[in-house]
Amino acid sequence: MIGIIDYGLGNLRSVLGAVEKLGHQGSISANPSTLELADKLILPGVGAFGDGMRNLAERGLIDPLSELVRQKRVPILGICLGFQLLAERSEEFGDHAGLGWIPGSVRRIQPSDTALRVPHVGWNDFERTRDCILFDDVPDPALFYFVHSYHLETAPEITVGICTYGAPMCAAVQSGNVFGTQFHPEKSQQHGLKVLQNFLERA
Amino acid sequence: MMLRKRIITVLTLNDGTLFRTKLFTPDYRYTLKFVDAWSVDEIAILDVTRGDTCDRKKFFGAVAEFAQTCFVPISVGGGIRKLEDVGRYMKAGADKVIVNTGALENPQMISDIANAYGAQCVVLSIDAQKRDGGYEVMSHFGATATGRDPAEWAKQAEALGAGEILITAIERDGALQGYDLELSRKVAEAVSIPVQVLGGCGNWQHMTQAFDIPGVSAACTQNIYHFTEQSIASAKKYLAAKGVPVRV
Repeated sequence: MIGIIDYGLGNLRSVLGAVEKLGHQGSISANPSTLELADKLILPGVGAFGDGMRNLAERGLIDPLSELVRQKRVPILGICLGFQLLAERSEEFGDHAGLGWIPGSVRRIQPSDTALRVPHVGWNDFERTRDCILFDDVPDPALFYFVHSYHLETAPEITVGICTYGAPMCAAVQSGNVFGTQFHPEKSQQHGLKVLQNFLERA
Repeated sequence: MMLRKRIITVLTLNDGTLFRTKLFTPDYRYTLKFVDAWSVDEIAILDVTRGDTCDRKKFFGAVAEFAQTCFVPISVGGGIRKLEDVGRYMKAGADKVIVNTGALENPQMISDIANAYGAQCVVLSIDAQKRDGGYEVMSHFGATATGRDPAEWAKQAEALGAGEILITAIERDGALQGYDLELSRKVAEAVSIPVQVLGGCGNWQHMTQAFDIPGVSAACTQNIYHFTEQSIASAKKYLAAKGVPVRV
């Protein structure tokens, strides 16, 4: 079973729809004892960083999830805001601590070219920088759907791919059992579904 | 390596049933199965059921069913009056919400939604009516004059936290004579967030005209696919040949 973490903000139904389309059973839950039974976890994301962390805390999810991810090494995929929450900090609407499962901090996108508008919305090229099973059998580059105003600044050692919007930005990470994509695989047609399938079946 | 221009299909639903409009008047003969969900870049679904008190049950049912098998982003709107309304739209499968009249009545709502869901989640829809020497923002499905200027309102909405602007030229709705380029340009110049244009697209050349305007990142169409045999795939082929960066 794939545990889709419900912290009151994600586009949960879209993620569940994609998981089911790929022939897997998913469960949307905010209950630690349900999520404990999951083979894999997905932390979806549409929302603001501070609210995301507050909602995770209010639901008593931070410690149980940390145990599952850090001690039990359950594979987890963070998507968009869920990807950013994996990091140590964010400056979105103030300064907020993140889950801290990967190094790095989340900063506002500030393209030097003023013709580039923020949020970065739409389909952009994803280029791989390191091998990662998420992108097995996915073309390089491939188009994925992005929608975000903030981006993760992290170590090149865990960055597995980038997109370019004025400057290169980290677009996917892997650090052991922790995976994350800035783009929305559940909203990126066949290539996105392939990324999800790779996570569900190969991670 | 660059961000692609988007083609967005706009679907309008009345009491859960899809229809197209001409000059904001409905015509029902279509189903959600008409949507070429593999070539389109994004889908916008608007509830135009009249009356603020309707429970929108059928609308949310239709959106949820559609979202289940749609693997592109979906923005959903129609009837959002306060932050607490947004949860239902998201639960039905929305990735972003579209606000219009509710934001005109209470601009602070834009900030409330942006703070809770992120700016990228808020699309401000502006319906504009051409007036002597300019344009006026209309609310309540284009029925009520607000005295606001579309470019000024777009600018204010950006400051309040809107992530995108959807600008609609009311008298172009269903006319297939091309987007209102002057209106589109005025709004796109006023803001630094992405702008989507709607109203009047009748052929692929109209899309290239819109994309020539800096800041226009999406061309929205409602009627064109229903009127003709042409598909989004052929639109993209045309645009790519004209040098417009699109996802083909």
